[in-house]
This record gives sequence, C-alpha cells and structure tokens, in this order.
Amino acid sequence: MIEITESDIKQWSRLGSRATFGQAILLLAKYRNDLMVLSADLGKSSGLDRFINSYPEKFLNIGIAEQNMIGVAAGLAKEGYVVFVSSFAPFISMRASEQIRMNMGYMSLNVKAVAIGSGVSMAFLGNSHFGLEDAAIMRSIPNMTVVTPADCAEIVKTVSAAAEYEGPMYIRLTGVMNNPIVYRSDYEFSIGKAIKLLTGTDITIFANGTMVYESLEAAKILESKGISASVVNMHTIKPIDNQAIDQAMTTSKIIVSVEEHSVVGGLGSAIAEYKTRFRNTPAHLIIGLPDEFLKTGEYKYLLEKYGLVAEKIAQKIIENYES
Amino acid sequence: MTNKEKYNKVFIETFSIDESALNDDLSYNTIPSWDSVGHMTLIAGFEDIFGINMETDDIIDFSSYNKGIELLTKYGIEL
Amino acid sequence: MDKQSIENISKIMRRRILDISYSCNISTHLGGGLSIVDILALLYGDVLKFDPENPFWDDRDRFILSKGHGVLGFYSALLSVGILSKEKFNTFQTNESDLIAHPVMNLSLGIESSNGSLGHGLSMGVGLAIAAKKKNRDNKVYVLLGDGECNEGSVWEAVMSASHFKLDNLIAIVDYNRFQSDGECRTILDTGAFDERWKSFGWDTYSVDGHNIEDLYNAFIAKNSDSRPKVIIANTVKGKGITFMENNNDWHHNRLTKSLYEKALQELT
Repeated sequence: MIEITESDIKQWSRLGSRATFGQAILLLAKYRNDLMVLSADLGKSSGLDRFINSYPEKFLNIGIAEQNMIGVAAGLAKEGYVVFVSSFAPFISMRASEQIRMNMGYMSLNVKAVAIGSGVSMAFLGNSHFGLEDAAIMRSIPNMTVVTPADCAEIVKTVSAAAEYEGPMYIRLTGVMNNPIVYRSDYEFSIGKAIKLLTGTDITIFANGTMVYESLEAAKILESKGISASVVNMHTIKPIDNQAIDQAMTTSKIIVSVEEHSVVGGLGSAIAEYKTRFRNTPAHLIIGLPDEFLKTGEYKYLLEKYGLVAEKIAQKIIENYES
Repeated sequence: MTNKEKYNKVFIETFSIDESALNDDLSYNTIPSWDSVGHMTLIAGFEDIFGINMETDDIIDFSSYNKGIELLTKYGIEL
Repeated sequence: MDKQSIENISKIMRRRILDISYSCNISTHLGGGLSIVDILALLYGDVLKFDPENPFWDDRDRFILSKGHGVLGFYSALLSVGILSKEKFNTFQTNESDLIAHPVMNLSLGIESSNGSLGHGLSMGVGLAIAAKKKNRDNKVYVLLGDGECNEGSVWEAVMSASHFKLDNLIAIVDYNRFQSDGECRTILDTGAFDERWKSFGWDTYSVDGHNIEDLYNAFIAKNSDSRPKVIIANTVKGKGITFMENNNDWHHNRLTKSLYEKALQELT
C-alpha cells in the first residue's frame, strides 16, 4: 500500500488529477513487478511522463487505437499482469465500450480502465472530449466496479486499491490542476464503502469526484440557513453502498446526489434504483449535468454555468427543501 | 535566510541535487527530475517560499536557473 | 490556379493563427494547425467549389476536418475566404463561443461536421459521397485526416468501404507530418510504406510535398482511374512556418507566451 503524507497531498493537489494519477502509477511501479500500463497515445497527457521514462518496460503506447488497447490489455491480464489502461473519458468508455464489455465485463479480466479528464475538465476541447455519460455506460456492464475519487489523495488511494483488487474496474478522474483538497491526511479507503464526511440531521448529500468538495462547501452555506446536512463521499457507484443509502433514508428529510456527470445514469440514478425498492422514502434531488451537449468554456465557467458549485448546489437544495 | 539561499533551497529540495549543480547549465529537461511534474513542483516551491503568485507566461518562460533569477525580479524578488 | 495568390493566403493564415493563439491566452494545437495551412489555402482558395454567400448550397463540395484539432488552419482558411467574419473568428476559445478547439457542426459557419474524436470523418465522407452519387450531384467530398489518426481502425473500415462503393468523388488528404501526441508516428505505430497501404486498399494514391502548391494542385486535379477514390498523402512539417515549432512536438498543444508570439511574428515578416 502506498503511504500518504500531508505534504504529498498538498503537492498532488497543485499538480492536479492527471499528474497525480501519473505519480500514483509511479509509486505502484516501485513495488509491483507485474504492473503494465497502456495508453492510446495520451501518455504525456495522462501525467505518465515520469513513469514512462523510469519504467519503459512497464508501458505500452498502443497508438490512437482504443479498441485495440483494451484487447491488448485483456491479453496481458489473462497472462497474469495487473493492467491499467488510460485515455480520455469518452474514448475509453465509448470508443472501446464493446471491447470493455467483452473483455472486462463478460470475461471479467483484471484490467483497470482509467478515464482521464472526465466531467467537463476538458474545457475548450469541447463535447467530443467531455465525460458526460461515461459512468452510466460503464455502470450498466455486469461485473464492472466503477469508482470516482473525490480528490488527489483519493486518486492515489483508488489506484493503490485497484492494483490489489482482483477484477475489472473503471476509474473516473475529475478535476484539474489545483484540485481542492477533501482529505488532508491519510485515511481508511475501501472500494465499495462510502465515507461519511459530515454528520447532519436534516438532509443527506451523496457526492463523488469533484462534487464532494463542492458539497462540503454547500453544507456550510446550508448550515448558515438552518439546514443541517450530512455529506457522504460515494466514491464507488458500483457496487453501491446500500447501507449508506439505508441510513440516509431513515434519518433524512430529503436525499440529494451531486455529480459532475449527466443526471442520466450516474450516481443519482444508481441511488434512485436502490431507493425505489422501498415505500415511504424521502424525496431525492438529483443534481448533475443536464441531458444535453454542453456549451464550451473554461472549466470553472462551465461548473458555474451548470450549477455544480457550492453556492448553486446549496441554492437548489434550499428551493427544493422549502417546497 | 537570504533570497538567494531560499532560491537555491527550492532547487536543491525539489530536484534532490547538490549545490554544485546550481549553475548556468541547469535548465528544463537537462536533468530527469526537471520534467513537467518537476517544473510544477519547483514553481510551487517558489510561490510558497516567496509568497508570490506567478503568471502563466512566467511559469512557461522559467526555463533555467538563470532565467528564473531574471523572472523573479518582476515579483520584487532580488537575488 | 494562381500560385502567388494561394501563397499569399497561406501567409495571411499563418499570421492569423499566431494572433488568435496568443489572444485566446491558453494552449492551442499550433503544430498540427500550421502543417495544414497550405493544403487548406489551396482548397479554399481554388479547389473547393462553394459559395461564401450561400453556405447551404446543395451542390457545394463538402470538406470535413477529420483531424479535428487542426482548427487553427481550418478557421483561418474560412476567415480568409469570407465564410467566417473577423468578429466571429476572434471569439475562438472564449466562453460559449461557436469556435472551440475542435469543429462543431454549423453550416452557417461553413463547418460541415463535429469532430474532435479521431477516426470519424472519413466514414461520414463515404456517406456524403454515396449520397451525392444517388442524387446525381457532381460535388466532391474532401476529408482531411492526420497520420496519427490513421492508427484508428475505424479509418480503415471507411477506406475499405470507399473503394468497395467506387467513390471516385471522395478525396482523402492525409497530413503526413510524422508526429502524433506522444511522439513520432514511426516509433509509436510504424505503418511501414503508408502509401502502399492505401494503394492495396484500392485507392489512387499520390504522395506529394504538402507545402508545394503546384504539386498539391496537380494531385487534386488528376483524373481518377477506374472509379477509385483518391488519397493525397501530403508530406508536411508539423509547425511549418515558425522555425522553433517545426518538427518540435512540444508544439502539439501549447501556449504562446508574449515573447514567443513576438519571436514568431518576426519570422513571418
């Protein structure tokens, strides 16, 4: 397991999600001889520069050929390697969707697909590069585990846990450089186990990825308005932590989910699918990106525009709570 | 600590190098640890130790030990 | 074809590319935008059949920028022939602009297709070419691809399809600048004799200097043999026109600082 210090966390946060992924892989490579990392010509863009230079024998650039990349990864995994593959979110989850379905879903091969730049972090590169629906698609494939780390420390935790975990995974990286910090020091992380970061009495906010930080900030605003909120980091949406949802259903007046992903098929949908089995449960407010192709702009501009910042999240919750 | 000592400290700590390596030749990509990740860590180090916020153009132009000295004067840091 | 006039267009395009890259204040795909300037200057300056007053004209030639990140070359060509206004061009990479780092389909701006994800454009080109034949229109379809882009299997599905359907109204141009995002094409995915591959798939294949207007032009107007589709493999230089960018893959996607912008401008005068 990789050790995490406070100063590491500060550094990773500045470097941002992609570079932290690269650092995590580099740390993993030090003690795993069975590691292989594949990229579809985005090694440099995935923060893997240093790893590629230090461990060239553990890296393969398959070229701009995502479908082939998954197949090659599957072959390596079948022969005992622990394989991480990466590319930008839409390319890995959609261009190679069927290959993921056959190799990682159907054959359950031990490949971890890492989506770089999911959500709207690609800014001016536009919708072709945004990860709007990727969690939804990956979640729908049987045998897949889908994780969206909350911050850079959690990216390292996730990569480390993924290497130990036997089975196919989709790891969705959101956020850019100067990624806000949720975890200031090392902590317990388990795939599939949600983490309650704040305990409140009125409502429960489930969030993952960058929206964990925004939800914590939103909770502060809500507190000042007299609404006491719990905030739960639901980093794993498949398998979803049902107990965390059970707890929210018994203690909260409303449940809120917040994600840098479409409102269709992601965290909100996963929670709703479970909750709908029960009667007399609290209302559920799903906050996420709208079901449309988005305008393009600076990352912060887009988050603001689409309501994925603390002030707007709090506002939406207040309106919903009061009605 | 003088400004020059602080400047050198950041280089030494970021790249795990010896004081003797701090010269004209020290520039981006000439040593393995001064890659893109190393560069961002270096800049963060200067921002922390001098309490400044560097502009993007300057971050990109900061290509060598000497160039850095020149660029920091813009932020009132005389070395 | 007025060679001097096309070369003037190229020069102006390069200047506009530098201006817009600097003024948008963030990274742009300079290398791959500059390598296609001469190809686009010729296409929009002479070869393509279009009406700048009527971008919806049914009989227009269609152009698809399959290597979507080549927008700097594309938008500057559209500007130089009056399809894009200066005001519109200047909105490049600003919040909510129609002009972003990859083309977004908008016929009123002369943009036929949304691209950005690689390996899609040639398939659409096949569809457009088939439609033209079915409707008895004599317009042509031009698709500009990157050499790295040809790593994508989907490109070769389209390549096979085009020769099968005898699409002699389809012209592919490959910006063979020998680099892709992570490095030299040859070291990432060596495709051997690239022109032989296209030939073996049944395409009329031309390999020319992608910065020589006459050679490019002769390839464009050459008659197709046997109803075959045509490919022009344009040997280009990534970053062409600015010496510190030429064949320097740091400029695949990078930011122009003030000092570099000024240095680059000097080279153009």
